[in-house]
Amino acid sequence: MTRQAFLKVENLSVGYGGTTVLTDLDLSIGKGEFVALLGSSGCGKTTLLRTIAGFAKPSAGAVSVAGRDVTQLPPDKRGMALVFQSYALWPHMTVAQNIGYGLKLQGRSRGEIEKRVTEMQALLGLGGLGSRKPGQLSGGQRQRVALGRALAIDPEILLLDEPLSNLDARIRLTVRHEIRSLQKRLGITAIHVTHDREEAMVMADRIVIMNAGRIEQQGTPEDVYNRPASPFVAAFMGAENLLTMQARVSGEHIELMESAMSPPTVTGRGGRDVTSGPVELRFRAEAASLVRNGEKTTPAAGALELRGQVASVTYPGGHWRHAVHLGNQEILVDADRPFDQGETVKVHVPESSLFIFNA
Amino acid sequence: MPKRLLALLLVLPALAMILLFFIVPLAASIIGAFEVGDRFGLDNFAKSFDLYSSDMIFTLVIVAISTALIGIIAIAIGGYLTLGENPRAVAVLRWLYRWPMFIPFIVVGQVMRTFLAKNGLMNNVLISLGILTPLQTTGFLDWRGIVIAFVWKQTPFVTLLLAGAMASLDRSTIEAARNLGASRMRILIEIVLPQVAGTLLVGLILSFVTMMSVLSVPLMINAQSPTMLTADIAFRINAHGDYGVANALGMISLLLTAGVALIYLRHSVKERS
Repeated sequence: MTRQAFLKVENLSVGYGGTTVLTDLDLSIGKGEFVALLGSSGCGKTTLLRTIAGFAKPSAGAVSVAGRDVTQLPPDKRGMALVFQSYALWPHMTVAQNIGYGLKLQGRSRGEIEKRVTEMQALLGLGGLGSRKPGQLSGGQRQRVALGRALAIDPEILLLDEPLSNLDARIRLTVRHEIRSLQKRLGITAIHVTHDREEAMVMADRIVIMNAGRIEQQGTPEDVYNRPASPFVAAFMGAENLLTMQARVSGEHIELMESAMSPPTVTGRGGRDVTSGPVELRFRAEAASLVRNGEKTTPAAGALELRGQVASVTYPGGHWRHAVHLGNQEILVDADRPFDQGETVKVHVPESSLFIFNA
Repeated sequence: MPKRLLALLLVLPALAMILLFFIVPLAASIIGAFEVGDRFGLDNFAKSFDLYSSDMIFTLVIVAISTALIGIIAIAIGGYLTLGENPRAVAVLRWLYRWPMFIPFIVVGQVMRTFLAKNGLMNNVLISLGILTPLQTTGFLDWRGIVIAFVWKQTPFVTLLLAGAMASLDRSTIEAARNLGASRMRILIEIVLPQVAGTLLVGLILSFVTMMSVLSVPLMINAQSPTMLTADIAFRINAHGDYGVANALGMISLLLTAGVALIYLRHSVKERS
């Protein structure tokens, strides 16, 4: 982190009843940064967000904003606004009343509230909907009202709890960009909880991947995508193909031993923290390429070559996806043209796309 | 068509029950209200208003005050159960508040009689605490006693409905208000209550109708004049065998409750649409 920490979470532990959800967690977020908390359900990402917001009390640790300890402060004294997964709009109030409620609580004058609400409606494309009730709005509109209600009080930090998960897939794609550009325009610090990898990649400056109450890895989208630090992150970021091999590490090289499906291969270590012994190889379907068995092509230096048989072919769009049998294992490989079912093929995985971890 | 006949046969028992135990007695009582000797007329109603118009007002005022108090207390209890931050206090309250629901009205009347009398338990406690001297004590065995008994007995019922509705609200609508800085009182009045207003209305109306028909409590606590219509009806029948006026009084209280029932029907129609 080059930027100075604006929101800081230190040694945070949170539990409900007897179970601990987060253990000794540290996180610091810079001013104006958009951070995505990414993880599967139950990993603690929502608990972390709710603890930052002040809705869950930590059993240990501290949360501070701009050097001010807010751990014991109520949710409204932290300069944060939370957008809920269910939007949590008040069904008995109109759109304008929903957006203006925070200002009303602050005791602002009616004229001031009206002005700000109009401003928010214009900002979010809700013009003319001010007198509707939430029940009369579409999902996307409700989502924007929830966003407007949070932004109306001008918070320093915007917290988003899976705000897109209740939207149609198509609307979700546009709302992603809307929220991102709004956040940039306002220069607001944002924390976004999601279980959608692509959503996190597209929206965030930094992705924090969580697993079982701990942070597995954090970094820019390119970082976590291309340099996963653990098998969990690699798998979560889409490297679902898994092979186990024996490896010998010498200096800057990793030698993968010959096996029934592959010749011996030497690949670069590339700063990987790997020791000799059994290793786990992971790579993405789109990172590998398929070659006919008879074809005379030598794989690029450091690439892994595998021999197998095409078990099935599908067309998910843009490319053909092949299930390839390697002995009794199966991997998925994409190719620009379809190969025949039952055809013997070679699979090439370039060095940079090969994620190697000690098994 | 045999299928249609079968369907008719299936609803017949229910239909017969309603006809036999509801429509027929109701019709008989309404007709009876207009029967004067061997002709029909309004004499029974004239007599009712002549003798009991102050009791009608008394009844309506008592039940209205009770309903209002029940509403306020139920909101307070339900609100604390939903928004209370002390889990132990919430658990104790949740366990306690339902008990009066399981006690019959007659027992409530009896308990209140010994509790609220001039030298009853309440005044004895107040005297022994030094708050009152024996000369200052007054009995509550009048309209106040009836209100206290009604509120004590009916509040749990309305609270049960209301707390259930509050508990099934989307919690995040409450948290969203807290996030923006709303106090618990404001959350209760501005966020929670408007969302459960329908349930509260239904609970209060059902309570209103129940209280209109209670005989035991006014008999036990306030057997003087003015008293509630139910006591008058019982008196007309038991003491005078005067079914005509009793029927007329019954019809009058039916009309009073019908006004409230109309609100209920309107509400349930609106809810279904």
